[in-house]
Amino acid sequence: MLNQKLSSKPVKKIFAKFPVLDKIKCHRCGLCAEKCRFNAIFAPKDKYPIFLHQLCANCGLCWNLCPFNAIKVKKKIIGQVFANKINDNFYLITGQTVGIVDETGPVVRQTRRYALKLAQELKTNKVIIDTAPGTHCNVINALLGADESLAVTEPTPLGAHDLKLILALCKKLKIPAKIVLNQSDLGDEKLIPNVHYRIPYSKKISQAYFKGKLNQLNLKKLLLP
Amino acid sequence: MNSIKIVVASGKGGVGKSMLASTLAMLFSLKRSIVAIDADVDAPNLSLWLGGIKKWDKIKRISVSEKAVAIKKKCPDCQKCIDICQFGALSLKNNQLKINPFLCEGCGACQEVCPPGTIKMRKVTNGEIMVKNNIFGFPLISAQLYPGQTSSGKIVDEIKKQAQDFKSQVAIIDSPAGTSCPVISAINGADFAILITEPTPAGFTDLKRVLKIVDHFKIPWALVVNKWNMNIPQSRLIISWADTHFLGKISYDQKIFKAIANFRPILKTNLLVKREINQIFIKLLKKLPPVNKKLL
Repeated sequence: MLNQKLSSKPVKKIFAKFPVLDKIKCHRCGLCAEKCRFNAIFAPKDKYPIFLHQLCANCGLCWNLCPFNAIKVKKKIIGQVFANKINDNFYLITGQTVGIVDETGPVVRQTRRYALKLAQELKTNKVIIDTAPGTHCNVINALLGADESLAVTEPTPLGAHDLKLILALCKKLKIPAKIVLNQSDLGDEKLIPNVHYRIPYSKKISQAYFKGKLNQLNLKKLLLP
Repeated sequence: MNSIKIVVASGKGGVGKSMLASTLAMLFSLKRSIVAIDADVDAPNLSLWLGGIKKWDKIKRISVSEKAVAIKKKCPDCQKCIDICQFGALSLKNNQLKINPFLCEGCGACQEVCPPGTIKMRKVTNGEIMVKNNIFGFPLISAQLYPGQTSSGKIVDEIKKQAQDFKSQVAIIDSPAGTSCPVISAINGADFAILITEPTPAGFTDLKRVLKIVDHFKIPWALVVNKWNMNIPQSRLIISWADTHFLGKISYDQKIFKAIANFRPILKTNLLVKREINQIFIKLLKKLPPVNKKLL
């Protein structure tokens, strides 16, 4: 959206720990498979266990518990953090998963941590975090510790429905929320109560968005009356 | 009998997944038995595209995971539980153990190492499953993850399992946006994937990311470009990239906004989008793998 290309070199790599079997030490007792709560270990009777890394939550229960120390830990890359300097006052930090990752929460958590550290070093005034849609772990990890949230919605039943959910989540996490109504003059505004900011439909913004050139607009002029 | 499972996914949000899934479900239901599955359990919207549901026939709370709870007020200062937790959910202050429920993944590692039984795993109600037996002549199965809860992927697995009870010829699965656990659960096991995107740089990038999951499960796929007329050069680029996978395009129309604001399903309107999705539907029937076509 900011018309930036991510550099080929990440500033940080994010790893997660996965279990690997040491067949020499394994007694085929099946304890690891029995205790794993993510069904990520498959152990047919009297056979060696098979670790299904795609279901693994990287919790460490199996390798900590194994009575024979037969489970080794292998680090695998699950994400990358990129940094772009847009100008002296504006940095963009992007987190991205690598490969197929079930648990994206840790990638969000590490990206946020990197951004907050950088912000402290540079003494920036504000950190803006763009979350994923929905309300599950990756959204929770992005919201945790925020001072304020902006809940963006549109004047449709879909917007009203999803807004209620994200407001409930913010309340649970004790983060004050303000409502931003996008395309406020399309649809039906009565569906959305307590709007703090309105962004009316604008052909200029829409066209620039589709071309990926939002950064070339004078948004100040378009958005502030 | 196994139904043909068709998943609609996009990567990017707000590009028309639920609009397409709801309309295709209604079109399929004209001649075939179908079940619609709303796998966007974080923010389920498929029912709204199907006219809205005032009262579900069945709502059932479900528990698919557990969370650790500290049961003793005072705890010996052994630190074992804190060290084993990979999610940073545990902390000890003045001999008092604190567990952050938003960070706990429910793995049970802390409980296993905790010697005096200070920690207990307690079942959590992650959300609820909602069923409407008849909406425009077919059942809709949906679910709602309670805000602040996790395990949306497991809820998706659960509703897909329950949808099999309807023994329909076709199952339409509306995937959430993104590429994380609920999306993987929605796509896994599908017979065919319809990917939808919009002609923006972000739409294209996210499309390629979700395609990685589709390819991983070796699922045949086809592509729909929504709002194609908003950036025609970019649309052309995506269409030529998709090559034989290209299925059809949908025009941008502000009236879709009005239709959904009035709870009117696309198939009950006279908008251009209705005719365009009809075209997509006809082409889709031809594109389905031969094994699946036989079952129709």
